Amino acid sequence: MTKFKRATILMISAAMILTAIVFMVSPKESYPVVTLILSFMLLAYGIRQIIYYIVMARHMVGGRLILYIGLILLDLGLFTATLSVIPLPYVMLYLLGGYAFAGAIDLMRAKEARRLHSPEWKFILFKGVVNILIAVICLVLIFVGTTIAAVYIYSAGLIYSSILRIVTAMRKTAVVYIPQTEIERIMSLK
Amino acid sequence: MEKDFHYYATYCAAYIAGFTHEESVRIAWSAAFVDNCSKTFLARAKAPLSAATTQLQMELMEMRTDVIGLQEITRIWTSFHFLPRDLYAPVKGAKRYRNKYRLLCGPNGPLLKDTIELAKSSGTLEAIGLSMHVLADTWAHMYFIGTTSLVFNTSNYHFYEKIADGNGGFYEKHITFRHNPGIPDDAVNSLYTATPFSLRENAVFNLGHGRLTHLPDYAYARYRYMPSWKNYEEVYKDNPEDFYKAFCQMIYALKYLRGATDRFETDTYDFEAAKPYEHEIRTFFEKRQIELAKEWKALSLKLSGKEFAPFEIEPAAVEYIDAGEDRDNTVLGRFIKAALAQKSMVTNKVFKSGNLTCGYSVNYEEKGLKGIKDYFKLLELHNEDRINQRRKGREQ
Repeated sequence: MTKFKRATILMISAAMILTAIVFMVSPKESYPVVTLILSFMLLAYGIRQIIYYIVMARHMVGGRLILYIGLILLDLGLFTATLSVIPLPYVMLYLLGGYAFAGAIDLMRAKEARRLHSPEWKFILFKGVVNILIAVICLVLIFVGTTIAAVYIYSAGLIYSSILRIVTAMRKTAVVYIPQTEIERIMSLK
Repeated sequence: MEKDFHYYATYCAAYIAGFTHEESVRIAWSAAFVDNCSKTFLARAKAPLSAATTQLQMELMEMRTDVIGLQEITRIWTSFHFLPRDLYAPVKGAKRYRNKYRLLCGPNGPLLKDTIELAKSSGTLEAIGLSMHVLADTWAHMYFIGTTSLVFNTSNYHFYEKIADGNGGFYEKHITFRHNPGIPDDAVNSLYTATPFSLRENAVFNLGHGRLTHLPDYAYARYRYMPSWKNYEEVYKDNPEDFYKAFCQMIYALKYLRGATDRFETDTYDFEAAKPYEHEIRTFFEKRQIELAKEWKALSLKLSGKEFAPFEIEPAAVEYIDAGEDRDNTVLGRFIKAALAQKSMVTNKVFKSGNLTCGYSVNYEEKGLKGIKDYFKLLELHNEDRINQRRKGREQ
């Protein structure tokens, strides 16, 4: 990873954590902002699909499908961005989907790790159980929830994701390559 | 390819090439172990995680497909299962497209020669076994890339299997894939389970030949289809023919690795050595079976007259854990060294071609020991080997 890329990831992650803290401090006022971010994410996804079509998918058999999907998503994103209020259940459903999926994957992964006697299975299982619990909370909140709870869950996810990004950015990622000539040189010095 | 080929066929090729029974078993074990050396397994053995040569289904599902995650996926699958044929292949298109195009797997590329030479210089039976896995997979995984890609690793509905009618002729059957991972492939009825469709270029479902199930790995399979990247051109894949060539190329490479011949060239096959067994091998390649373990095992018994244990991974882990300080001299220890060396070599070649899909490669000669710590082991182990070789030389 280049230094510029590393710095960019760190700055974006810091901004995400800061935003999450601001949301948690004033959750009531932040709800419209959260829904606006979700709408813009859809919009950005649509634009990304169109770029993906131009760069990659136009070379692919049946690749025009990507262009159509990109246009539809762009349209949907523009539409939701213009809505003044997005009802809470939709936001909760979005959060529920993400957490339930991550939880299910973690549980299956823990089962696989346990089968291979890997010591990490307990941690993976714990992560899975936490994700499923959050998903259950989202499900309950669809019926009895407040916008404050939605903002808190969204912000917690934002912080978790930022921490993962920071960990990734700090990791050493380059692979060491040792040319045969160098091995010979080292040996001749011994 | 399937485990039967990597284990039993590699044993047969090694034995025909002149290795002893014990050496052939060790080579075969390493060739088959490439499909089992996951991070989860290595974590359990407290071994360097960078030596992983495969990823379990759930490991993949859990992976973040950000830049770093994708580079890790690509390093593993490109180095061991989808060796690129031509890293400088001429192609028009954006850089992102070009980089992936150049990862297309195929036999007889310059990287195959590099792989064999690396195994030769490593000089261990584990490195030889690992290189045989890589060689065999260049035939089975032709036309796919060892990273996630919707544009390169998928096909459309135009997919037909060519099936022998029993009277010397063939008929064609249209193939549609199922997506329930709980249902195994059914060779007799041509029912195959593939990963589900995902529109995301970098979804793990689009890794390697996942969208086409394990069909490319089955020895009996003959099929024609339209790969997503080939501009509406059809591809015909004849696995019985390709797998036989792979077997003959393995014998040729193994003779070189044993020191019986003094050079390895691509696109060269030892048809002569395989001739006495050709009819037998071709006959069981025609059987519509997912695994041919029984058939290969019978051939291995006929060759050496010796039976050997079925493939297991547990003893290697136990030996490695129990060895303590001396773990680098165990079977798993030597395999880890071979895996790190192969991954380091392939990543370097891809990086030097201006392609960052495998990540960055730091040349020790220029920058010293920088980068992922696990690879520092490579230098230490290389040195140890050279020291041992020198010692042996002096003693003789």
